[in-house]
Amino acid sequence: MRKVVIPIGPQHPALKEPESFSVTLSGERIMAFSARLGYNHRGIEKACEERTYIQDVYLVERICGICSHAHSTAFVQAVEEIAGLSVPERALYIRTIIAELERIHSHLLWLGVAGHEIGFDTLLMYTWRDREVVMDILAELTGNRVNYGINTIGGVRRNIDASEISDILKAMDILEERTKYYIQLAKEETTLIKRLSCVGILSHEDALSLGAVGPTARASGIPRDTRKDDPYAAYDKLEFKVITDDHCDVYGRTLVRLGELMESYKMIRQALKEMPTGPISVKAPRKIPAGEAFSRYEAPRGEDVHYVKADGTDRPERVKVRAPTLANLQTVAKMLEDRQLADLPIVIAAIDPCFSCTDRLISLREPKKPDKTLAWEDLRAYSIEWYRARGIDFTKVNRKISRRN
Amino acid sequence: MFTPFLHILVFPGFLFLVFAGLIAEYIDRKLYARLQNRVGPPFFQPLADFIKLTSKEDIVPEEANPRMFKAMPIFALTATVTAIFYIPLWSPKALYSFNGDLIVVMYLLTIPTLTYFLGGWYSTSLYSKIGAVRSLTQLFAYEVPLLMCILAPALLANTWSLSEMASFYENHSGYWLFNIIGFAVAIVALLGKLEKVPFDIPEAETEIVAGTFTEYSGRLFGIFRLSLDIEAIVGSSLIASVYLPFGFHLKPLAGFLLYMGKVLSIIAIMSLSRSIFARLRIDQMINFCWKYLSPLAFLQILICLIAKWGLYR
Amino acid sequence: MTSEDKIANDLTEKFRSLSGKIRVQRARRIMAEVDKDSFEEVLGYAIKILRFSILCTITGLDERQSIGLIYHIARTDGIVLSIKTSVSYEKPLMNTITPYFPAAEIYEREIADLLGVEIAGLGPGNRYPLPDNWPKGEYPLRKNWKKNASANNIIKERTDNA
Repeated sequence: MRKVVIPIGPQHPALKEPESFSVTLSGERIMAFSARLGYNHRGIEKACEERTYIQDVYLVERICGICSHAHSTAFVQAVEEIAGLSVPERALYIRTIIAELERIHSHLLWLGVAGHEIGFDTLLMYTWRDREVVMDILAELTGNRVNYGINTIGGVRRNIDASEISDILKAMDILEERTKYYIQLAKEETTLIKRLSCVGILSHEDALSLGAVGPTARASGIPRDTRKDDPYAAYDKLEFKVITDDHCDVYGRTLVRLGELMESYKMIRQALKEMPTGPISVKAPRKIPAGEAFSRYEAPRGEDVHYVKADGTDRPERVKVRAPTLANLQTVAKMLEDRQLADLPIVIAAIDPCFSCTDRLISLREPKKPDKTLAWEDLRAYSIEWYRARGIDFTKVNRKISRRN
Repeated sequence: MFTPFLHILVFPGFLFLVFAGLIAEYIDRKLYARLQNRVGPPFFQPLADFIKLTSKEDIVPEEANPRMFKAMPIFALTATVTAIFYIPLWSPKALYSFNGDLIVVMYLLTIPTLTYFLGGWYSTSLYSKIGAVRSLTQLFAYEVPLLMCILAPALLANTWSLSEMASFYENHSGYWLFNIIGFAVAIVALLGKLEKVPFDIPEAETEIVAGTFTEYSGRLFGIFRLSLDIEAIVGSSLIASVYLPFGFHLKPLAGFLLYMGKVLSIIAIMSLSRSIFARLRIDQMINFCWKYLSPLAFLQILICLIAKWGLYR
Repeated sequence: MTSEDKIANDLTEKFRSLSGKIRVQRARRIMAEVDKDSFEEVLGYAIKILRFSILCTITGLDERQSIGLIYHIARTDGIVLSIKTSVSYEKPLMNTITPYFPAAEIYEREIADLLGVEIAGLGPGNRYPLPDNWPKGEYPLRKNWKKNASANNIIKERTDNA
């Protein structure tokens, strides 16, 4: 068969967000691979320069739907460093707990997606069912399933109380048991092992030179983890292992992620036990003094990096974001060298490219009581009333803004 | 004069097969969903899907050969429906039979795969072409073990007619137990024929969208899907009549119920395997078929030859 | 002496021009300002002798008179060295660092697209992240870039192409 070039994307069932790959095939064999990125560029860095710091916290949180806490934490850490704020211990612990819960939901999501990419839909259905446990916990703690909005400059916005702690512990027990089952599955299921091992090989040296991060690097035997190397939040007080693996393939990446899940359960239990009492935030100034800071964060997919430069006003001079996927995507071409077309979806998925997942409304219905689901207009009216009852009226401000436009 | 038409169009022909196929699809989907801890579709879902597809617009790609593109679904449907007439369902006698109809049925069941290849090839889309080549490659892998393991019971029964095989096994009760290995091999090969997980390589969604069927829409796609459903029924009926040849002397209604039970349990075994395996790669699939499936089918032939020698001596 | 101070001392001893331009911001964060001519030498020294083996990212800054480029490189023990250099606003030109870090390509393309810095030595490849029909000379991360004016240009260019 002569060579053919087939497009994978910008829209393709294997990709959950637009990106364009083109693959040159000879029969089933991949001869060349090239990527055209940027379909999701939304100009967030520029938009950050035009908004105040507190608005930016919520804007950077929306860079990604899955690792939203990663971006907002990395950003507030940088701003707090410039402003010289010392964040209360309890807030750091709460940030850590949310971060690990986010890692759990992200890794479970990945496991399901990986199952789907290799045509193993049962794994997808099982892991996503179990993922609901941690999503419900996140919704209980922060009010949202994704884009938690728990961070603010100088601390966190919500406390964790005793009943929530017992709910989290219960959920951790359930998830730990399920994860043990998945680890057993990954070690015993023949077709799964056949499809994952020796696929997408990235040697130790290549991973180093191409700058792989996160589970992709750790599965190639590089013990690199920002939580350990450059501790932030409460990670310096927690005990955990950096999970590595020597398989150097997609199977290794699966095992690393499963191992990290087990570590996360341990860390959350420890953090809940050792969390000190006290305030959860300090007051942050509206104008941040001039300065610059560089903040690193170990997101579920790898190292997330934020650089913030302040010029003394209430808006940042420059915000630079490097999400982990950008570092990892450069390894994909290497992994696909001389592989089969059938391996392409799982190899791309194995670096866990960031895709946003849509929020949804949880409707709580009690029998006999009328349905309390709020539509958008009701919600808006409710919020205006809520603030007005507390002496804050946005009506004038709104009018001013609309006149300016 | 009138009866053959009734047979062909209504029972056990086209109309019956359409309904049996839709029921089989429902059972497959519902079971698959329940095994995955989902709710699953309501019973009329396959029919609703079919009606929806028939009401949609047929789009023929500009580059495609319209005649081939439109003819292929019809060919697939006719071939599968025709095959049922030579298979004994609930009485040891099929509607039509002659010595050698075994080969004809196998041949008729190969035609749908060929139409997937031609339909995919003539729709000229890259995804379809890759899917088309894959379904043909796969055909060479599973067809040999399937044919070998269907031949084995025929050797034991000393006939090439499915109906005579059925009466042979009916008269020699318990002989079908010799063919257990062949039964397993045949179910695996049928999974390949029906392009179901772990052998759904030609329509691997995450790689080549929908493979052969990428460009098909509306009525033509509906007919293709229907022919796949009917192929599932016909394939299971073939396996049931060859490997589970008992209960043919029952009264019509009881016999019919037993037959449906046999077919649906084969379909259930297939949905079970669908939910516990991951999709293989095409090279792994071919390796598997030639390394394990064919030797097993060969072993089945040996067993039958030895049994025949032992029994007739 | 902490290892951060040691690295700072090492750098000033090796490169006299750097004295007073290296600042230890906090634990594990060092900031160095280097002029464009000695940049490559400093980078090479930091990578090879001081073992800064990880490239975190490259940040581009519009500083009104010049365009600043910050190369954030890290060691496995968590120390990050940010080497800052600047290129002229009128003719921004910088050499590629892909010989040291092959993975730097995408970061350099991003700076080329968003700030208009020409990167010498970068091989052919797709642009990132702006679309292929983005008008020439429009660099969105520059401070004088106004989104409305450019939006009109983009629409005009698209209609001209069509």
